[in-house]
Amino acid sequence: MDSGLPYESILQKYLTGELRVLNAHLPGSQKLLSDLWDEEYPHVLCNDGSIHLFKRKELKYLAGLIDADEQKMLSLPILIEVSAGRTEMAVLCPGEVEKKVIQKVLDMPLDVREGRIALYRPQLALVRRLLRTTTQYVFSAQL
Amino acid sequence: MSQLIKVTRPTKIELIKLRRRLTLASRIQKLIKDRVSILVMEFLQIAGQTVEVKKGLLDDFSAMYKALSLAAGYHGYIALEKELTASEGGLEVVAGLRNIGGVKIPAFELKKDKQTLRGYSLIDTSSWLDRTAELSEKCLEAVVELAELQRGMAQLGMEINRTKRIVNALEHLIIPGLQATIKYLNMKFEERDREEKSRLKRVKVLLERK
Repeated sequence: MDSGLPYESILQKYLTGELRVLNAHLPGSQKLLSDLWDEEYPHVLCNDGSIHLFKRKELKYLAGLIDADEQKMLSLPILIEVSAGRTEMAVLCPGEVEKKVIQKVLDMPLDVREGRIALYRPQLALVRRLLRTTTQYVFSAQL
Repeated sequence: MSQLIKVTRPTKIELIKLRRRLTLASRIQKLIKDRVSILVMEFLQIAGQTVEVKKGLLDDFSAMYKALSLAAGYHGYIALEKELTASEGGLEVVAGLRNIGGVKIPAFELKKDKQTLRGYSLIDTSSWLDRTAELSEKCLEAVVELAELQRGMAQLGMEINRTKRIVNALEHLIIPGLQATIKYLNMKFEERDREEKSRLKRVKVLLERK
């Protein structure tokens, strides 16, 4: 404990709590589109124990963008990284399929740098509009 | 208005702690500001979609009632009621959650049955009834979507209000308070240095006199 000043511990606790709340919804593990397609209620289990439901309409839309082999490589939900104080967001792209999907959604060629595709807010709004349940935000802060 | 934080001991260690606190508070502020901007973006998007869906729903309802009145006129109320009673069925909505930046928002989806027949006799009815049924199914889908959007909008709105209060507290109270305290401590240390210097000068003069 510090000398009669609880601010530091309060702030530290608050930041930890805020990060925990922000990232509580992250899935324990991602699922492949081909596997989700076979499930009656397509969902993933989140770290906080809740269930994140995917809409069939969106899965159908995604399946229409890529072929059957690529559906076996696309992990869902697609993660969008938000870093503190940066204007652009980044879509985490471990493979080529994610890049193809985002390119087709935005209808423009995109570059992958260090496993990430940088997106500006209007582009992000478009992606989120079409992929409401199949994308999720990851908040990162350098502590 | 900025407030001074009460410092128990004006020491260098306290100053270091305060500087750390200020860095931490600035980071939290950036993080929460990002969160607010994401939530606002999602809120505006959902608001736009709500307007679109509501408008579409009103149009669909209007078309559906028109088709229903035509079907009623064609078949007669008694015959139509008989057919519609036979076609009554359960409605299944898949409900789950989705999370936007820590806000849990409901996700609803109307589960469609794979059956192709609607339950009423195809021999005794006309295409007017088919059209009515088709439009009412479309309306149901829109109602479920609207429920999801409106609930999501309400929850996002509440969270934006809560988070904005925290951002304001950090921006107008905590951070200026810390900055003012750091400034106060710096001034205090400078004053101490000056006192120390003048004391040394005084001692030097006294020693020279002896």
